Amino acid sequence: MKVLCVFVSLLAAAFAVNNGVCYKGIEEFCSHDKKEINPEKCNSKYGGINKALPHLQEYVKNHIVLNFEYMLMSTYFGNYQKSREGFEKLFMDLSNSKWEKAIDLIKHITKRGGEMDFTKMRANIPNNNNEVYELYEINSLAKALEIEKDMAEAAYHIHGQASERSKDFHDPEIVSYIENEFIHKDSETIRKLSGHVSDLTKLLDSPDSSLALYVFDDYLNKVSIV
Amino acid sequence: MKVILSLTIIFTAIALTSTNTPCDHGALDIPDKWIDMVDSCYDQMKNQVQEELKASIQYLAMGAHFSKDTVNRPGFAKFFFNSASEERQHALKLISYLLMRGKLTTVSDLIKKNIVPKITIWHDGLRALKDALELEGNVTQKIQNVIKVCETPLRADEKKFNDYHLVDYLTGEFLEEQYKGQQELAGKVSNLEKMKLTHKQLGEFMFDKKLLEE
Repeated sequence: MKVLCVFVSLLAAAFAVNNGVCYKGIEEFCSHDKKEINPEKCNSKYGGINKALPHLQEYVKNHIVLNFEYMLMSTYFGNYQKSREGFEKLFMDLSNSKWEKAIDLIKHITKRGGEMDFTKMRANIPNNNNEVYELYEINSLAKALEIEKDMAEAAYHIHGQASERSKDFHDPEIVSYIENEFIHKDSETIRKLSGHVSDLTKLLDSPDSSLALYVFDDYLNKVSIV
Repeated sequence: MKVILSLTIIFTAIALTSTNTPCDHGALDIPDKWIDMVDSCYDQMKNQVQEELKASIQYLAMGAHFSKDTVNRPGFAKFFFNSASEERQHALKLISYLLMRGKLTTVSDLIKKNIVPKITIWHDGLRALKDALELEGNVTQKIQNVIKVCETPLRADEKKFNDYHLVDYLTGEFLEEQYKGQQELAGKVSNLEKMKLTHKQLGEFMFDKKLLEE
């Protein structure tokens, strides 16, 4: 009996945290002829979204910035001097993917009652002219591999925090979203890039390195990275 | 003796820099007479790439705002997210054009990445549509400025080169799209504003669902 009592009161407490404010607000709205109701009281927040939110916002920012960086790398390979259509395509595919993911992440954040903080776009973005986007073919692939690994680790971080079994952090919905939309796809892209670097390193270690690059570029044009 | 020594050093330096490595295949000898775009026009075009990206991020912020749970206007959000991607496509089209003309070879100063949207909260959907129309008006005006410069380059040290093809491309493709888009936006503003005269909340609610179907 005691156990049941404790259980019931716990259950009631749990409901009170989430549901009290919205329902009470609506009751007031209906009974007191109150003109305004604060919709914030009936938001869609639950679970660990508050703790995950800053990391998700940072993750969106990184997607937007990478969309630009891959765009620049693609553009460089598209110039008439480099003239590497395959590399141009690879980096444009990566850029497009980062952009689409940024939008999808924003939609998901707002689905869970959060919002995107665009002031994050201001901070921590180096904008120097150190020409890091004008790279040799093999270097560009190595760089992309490292970027993708960093992003995969960032996804793991969000996943890890939302997997914590403590009240403010645990959020299976975010965990599942990150798994399905990012973690598995990241592993595919990373494996492909790693394979490309491995292949091209072997191919370049020959007297025919310029022909090898030509052939490899043609190959990249036919396969997909994302 | 000193002269010979320094000459040897210079020659070795040249020899070293032009050595082919597995990754670098040396300097190229490609004729560049075909690259006829002048610098002032090129600068304007680069600037326009940034402008389109700025517009894209501004639309992204609109999409984000109308997706919020307590704002809940999925139709507006969809419309603005689409606009964001469209603006990004415009930037990519301009970049492709510059690549075709051979002018764009170095990319390090092409995009400033830390774009922060000017506005991130809107009173209602109507306000956002009006802001969007204003934004498009600004973009159109900037395209017209690019056209002017590319028709008659401003800088005194440049040859007077009327870039017919670029001007035609901007006029025919970009301005065409701008004017169509602006008419569409103005029409939406008009419809919504009329509805909201008497049905403020219901008007916006219905308009949102309509946008979702588009």
